[in-house]
Amino acid sequence: MRIIDMFSYAFSAIRLRKLRAGLTTLGVVIGIAAIVALLSITQGLQVAISSQLQRGFATDTLIVTAGGGLGGVNEFNLLVKDAQTIKEIGNVTASIAVIQRICYIRMPYGQTRRVTVTGVDFAAYKEIYSSTFVAEEGEIPLNPEDDFIIVGKQVSDPWSNGTILCRTGDALEILWTNTTTRPLRNETYLGRVVAVLREIGGFTIGGPSDNRIYIPISKAQSFFGTETCEMIIVKLRNDDRATIDSAAKAIREALGGRVAVTSSTAVLNIISSVFSTIELFLAGIAAISLLVAGIGIMNIMIVSVMERTREIGILKALGMKNRQVLLIFLCEAAIIGLLGTLIGIGAGWSLAQIVLRIFGSSGGAGIMRQGNQAAVSNGITITPVLTPTVILGAIVFGLMVTMVFALYPAWKASKLKPVEALRYE
Amino acid sequence: MTGTIIKTVDLRKTYMQGKIPVEALRGVNLEVGEGEFLSVLGPSGSGKSTLLNLIGALDKPTGGRLFIENIDVSALNENQLADLRMRIGFVFQFFNLIPRFTARENVELPMSIAGLSKGERRKRAEELLQMVGLASRMNHKPTELSGGEQQRVAIARALANNPRFLLMDEPTGNIDSKNAYEIIRLVKRLNEDKGVTIIMVTHDQRLAEEAKRIVYMLDGTIVMEKVR
Repeated sequence: MRIIDMFSYAFSAIRLRKLRAGLTTLGVVIGIAAIVALLSITQGLQVAISSQLQRGFATDTLIVTAGGGLGGVNEFNLLVKDAQTIKEIGNVTASIAVIQRICYIRMPYGQTRRVTVTGVDFAAYKEIYSSTFVAEEGEIPLNPEDDFIIVGKQVSDPWSNGTILCRTGDALEILWTNTTTRPLRNETYLGRVVAVLREIGGFTIGGPSDNRIYIPISKAQSFFGTETCEMIIVKLRNDDRATIDSAAKAIREALGGRVAVTSSTAVLNIISSVFSTIELFLAGIAAISLLVAGIGIMNIMIVSVMERTREIGILKALGMKNRQVLLIFLCEAAIIGLLGTLIGIGAGWSLAQIVLRIFGSSGGAGIMRQGNQAAVSNGITITPVLTPTVILGAIVFGLMVTMVFALYPAWKASKLKPVEALRYE
Repeated sequence: MTGTIIKTVDLRKTYMQGKIPVEALRGVNLEVGEGEFLSVLGPSGSGKSTLLNLIGALDKPTGGRLFIENIDVSALNENQLADLRMRIGFVFQFFNLIPRFTARENVELPMSIAGLSKGERRKRAEELLQMVGLASRMNHKPTELSGGEQQRVAIARALANNPRFLLMDEPTGNIDSKNAYEIIRLVKRLNEDKGVTIIMVTHDQRLAEEAKRIVYMLDGTIVMEKVR
C-alpha cells in the first residue's frame, strides 16, 4: 500500500469523527501552545535582559571587592590606594576605586531623594565606560573641582516625562549620616551639577547607572572620611579568557588573597545559565500538559480500535498486512499530532504576544526595579522570541508524543485476528 | 477440471469455547479444481463456515494440511498469509463494506492495499461495477444501496485483485429472494463466462443446487458429494 493511500485512508477515518478528532487535537494544541508560549516569553526575556546587561557591562573589566573566598565575616578593607597596586599588574590598563554611600540629596526646589552617591575618578571612569558614562547635558570634567557633581538621567528626570528636578548648573545639597561616630553625625555639603548623563537603561555592576550621582573620588574620601572603597574596577587589555583568568589570579595574590574578583563575563554566564534553568523548568511543566494530551490520544485510539474491529477484520481479509494496519493507525495519530502541533505553535506564539503586550513593557521590569534599586534603571521592553529551534523542537516533540502514545493502540489493532475481528459486532 | 487449486487433507479445527474444546472440523478431505463452482451445504454448526475461513486463510487449522496452488498454507507466516488473502476473493453474508466509502472506493480498497496507482484503481473499479450492473450507483455509499446492490459491490470488490478463487459465505443470506436470484445469476455468469472458481457456503438447498458440485457437511465432516 502506498504511503499516500495510507494517509488518505487515515484521513477519511478521522473525518468520520470530527468532534472526537477535534477534541483530541485540542489536547495537543494546548500542550504545544503552552510550551511555545513559555519558551518564547522566557527567551524574549533573556534576550532583553542580556542585551541590557551587555550595554551596562564591559566584558573586559573585572570588579574587585573585599572578601576573599567563603565565609561572611571579613576584617579586610579594600583601600583606595589598592587601585594603584592593581594598576601595576600585567594586562591591566586602568584601575579605579569606587566609594559609594547611600545619601539624601536636596534638589533645588526642595525635594529630597535617596540616592547612591558614587565617588570615582571621572576621567578614568569615562575611559572604561566610554559608551555609557556620557553627558547628555553639560560636560564630564576630566579635572573636576571638589564640588562637581554628575547626575544620572533618572535623578534629573525621575518620571521620564520632562519634569526635571535638577539640571546642569543647579546646586545640590548632599546629606550623609555618619554612623561610625557616637552620637551619629550628619554631614552635608553643597555641590554643583556639571553634567547629566545620557539615559543608559539596563543593569550594571560597577558601571554607570541612571539613578546615581557621581562625585570625584577625592571628595568622596574627605566627605565620607574614609580610605576604604567598596570596589575597584579593573580594565584589561582584552577580554580573552586567559587574560581574564591570569589577571584575576594576579590581583588576588597582590592583595593577599582576601579579595573577590568578579568578571563581567562570568556574571553574564551565570545569569544566562540561570535563565536556561528557568526555561527548562517551565518547558518541563508545559511538557506535562502534552503528556496528558498523549494519554488522551491513547485513550481515544483504544476506543477507536475497538469500534473499528470489524473494519480491521475487513482490511485483513482484503490482504492488508499487520504492519500496514499499524501504519494506518500511526498515520491517524501523525495527522492529529502534526495538525495539533502546527496550530499549537501559532496559538502559543499569539499567546506570548498577548501576554507580553499586557505585562511585558512595564510589569516585568517594574518588579525588578523595586527589587534592586541600585542595579536597574529604566523599564525593559520584552518581545517574545520564537527561534527555529523551538519550532522544530515543538514539531518533533509533538509528533513524538502522539506517535508514542498511539503505538500501543495501533499495535493492538495490527494484532487482531481476521476471523475474530470479522465476527465482532 | 484442469488443475487442483485447493486441496485439504484431513483438515481439522478445534477452538475453545470458554474451557470447552469444540471440534468444528474433524478431518475434511476436499479437492477443488480450477473453474469449478462448488457449493458447501449443511446446517448451521456443521463447520462449513469454518472450512471457508480456513481456505480463505482467515484462520489457521489445528490439524491436517491445506494446500492452495500446491503451497502448504500452514507453513506460511503472517505476511505470507496476508499476501495469499490478497489473491482470494471473499464475499460475506453481511457484505462487510466500509460504510464511509462509496461503492467505487470500496472496490478500489483491495487494489489500494495491493499498491496500485489511483488511476489504475479507478479504471478497474469502474469496469467491475459496470460488470455487476452498478454503473449508475458508483458514487453511492453502502447505506444508500439495497442489500442486493451492496452484495454486488462486495462481489466487485472480491474480484478487484484478480483472485484465484471466490469464497462466498451465505452470499444471499441477508437479501430478499428476488435479489438473491440476481446475485446467483451473476455468480453463475462469473463462473461460466469468466471461468472464476467459486466455493459457496450455504444452508439453502435450492441455492446450493445452482452449483455444479455440492458437498454436504455435518458435524465437521463431509458426509456426501453430488455432482450435477
